[in-house]
Amino acid sequence: MEIIKTHSLIKHFGNTTAIDDISIHVNPGEIYGFLGLNGAGKTTLIRVLLGMIKPDQGSVMLFGKQLSPRFKQWNDIGYLVETPYAYPNLSVVENLKVYYNLRQLNDPHVIDDIIEKLKLTNHKDKKAKVLSLGNQQRLGLAKALMHQPKLLILDEPINGLDPEGIVEVRELLKDLATQGSTIFLSSHILGEINKLAHRIGIIHQGKLIKELTTPELNKQLIKKIIVDTPDNKTALHYLTAHQYQAVLNHNHEIEILNDEALAHPENISTLLVEKNCPPKQVYLFTEDLEMYFLRTIRTK
Amino acid sequence: MSGQVQALKAELIKNKYSTILWVTFIAFALAPIMGGIFMLIMRDPEALAKAGALHTKVQVMHIVADWNSYLGILTQAIGIGGVLVFGFVASWVFGREYSDGTAKDLLALPTSRANILNAKFIIYIIWCMGLALSNLLIGFFIGTILQLPSLTMSLVSTYLTTYFTTALMTIVIGTPIAFFAIWGKGYLAPLGFVSLTLVFAQIIAATGYGYYFPWSIPGLFSGAGGEYKAQLNGLSYSILVLTSIAGYIATVTFWKLADHSK
Repeated sequence: MEIIKTHSLIKHFGNTTAIDDISIHVNPGEIYGFLGLNGAGKTTLIRVLLGMIKPDQGSVMLFGKQLSPRFKQWNDIGYLVETPYAYPNLSVVENLKVYYNLRQLNDPHVIDDIIEKLKLTNHKDKKAKVLSLGNQQRLGLAKALMHQPKLLILDEPINGLDPEGIVEVRELLKDLATQGSTIFLSSHILGEINKLAHRIGIIHQGKLIKELTTPELNKQLIKKIIVDTPDNKTALHYLTAHQYQAVLNHNHEIEILNDEALAHPENISTLLVEKNCPPKQVYLFTEDLEMYFLRTIRTK
Repeated sequence: MSGQVQALKAELIKNKYSTILWVTFIAFALAPIMGGIFMLIMRDPEALAKAGALHTKVQVMHIVADWNSYLGILTQAIGIGGVLVFGFVASWVFGREYSDGTAKDLLALPTSRANILNAKFIIYIIWCMGLALSNLLIGFFIGTILQLPSLTMSLVSTYLTTYFTTALMTIVIGTPIAFFAIWGKGYLAPLGFVSLTLVFAQIIAATGYGYYFPWSIPGLFSGAGGEYKAQLNGLSYSILVLTSIAGYIATVTFWKLADHSK
């Protein structure tokens, strides 16, 4: 059973189509990363998944049940939508108590546990309005995670966190997924999605333009060998003579795309040394997710 | 029922440390204090003679420095000032979630959206009743210090009934403010609505049709309109109750069914 399943979701705001025919599914224990530019429709989709916005067309199934006003499994879901705000005059503990009550929980220890897990212990009695951006983000995550949900829907979960916080949250989310939680997250930090997600969806102008697993993505990323020698024109001549698909790039370095070159870059070094054109550097360049993402949306 | 209790607990935590709670009590306490100053000046003919505008008002309203006049002032303050202060409370209770940015965190929870709004309405009623009670106690304290004459049990009984009925009317007519807070996603729309109702309540009451305008009715009932109170009839009270019910239904329906994109 899919944890999230949407069918042909469409939502218009006036003349703007915020999401256009989006059908996705997320499996149990999966981390699904959602990529898109600002205004692409990510947050609208997240709000539709949470029942905050009704689609004009299409349906949402969560845990195999139709999302409707009668949907009851909200305690199986934790969420963070856009900037995590808190009641400014309440402390971290009091803010969590508000949601402890609204989630109708029965174990007061969950508040201390989540405070400890998200390293908020030193700030637990501070008012939310004096927290740093990073700690406000931790408080938002604490609200989303306090009740140990089976599904986490997170919009930009690492926004505002320092590098240490990013690593902690990444490990926390990975642990949750290992323990069986399903995670649906959007982020503009594409490298982070790549490190976390099992599957990635790319949304552009409201449409889901690509959906692929991380291994599929890695196959689709452009890889090439970059070579730099004291005389790149001569080196290029030798390489093309030996059937390498080599060209000079805009930095006047040699780019080689052959599979054979990618598999055995050492042969290139050997050849150039033999031709008295020893390389200063030979390295494997892999397109990052950001470049892939931009390439994908530009070709659509 | 459990969901309603939990929602109320959450709402109590939210408001416990809110500065605005004390601000409303202090602001509303100005009414009995000003009424007390009024009484003090009237007991001193020399001071009254110097207070030109006040002197004229006293003559028009036949006010004397006794409990009857003082309790009348307190009741009128609820009927007219209450529309403003209670409106401010409703704007805060319902609009704060948007200014705090927390509205979105209340929409996908096991506690229903209706329970959350009902908890807010309960807090609004308790808060406003607290304000009414606090002003009454301050009023009795000031009146006792000033040793105002003519305090009888029947007078107290009559005024307490009118006072609390006026307070209740002013509270129930606040439900549309909740709708404007949620529809307008913040304080601005409800505060604008409160200002408009206050202005129209005065204008319409002055034209003699206040008994058909819901926001004039508490003021007229309090006696602020003098003989116009006699014009209030079953239809007037029905209009007030129907406006309140319509405000409540509109608020809950909008909160449950509208798209929440903020």
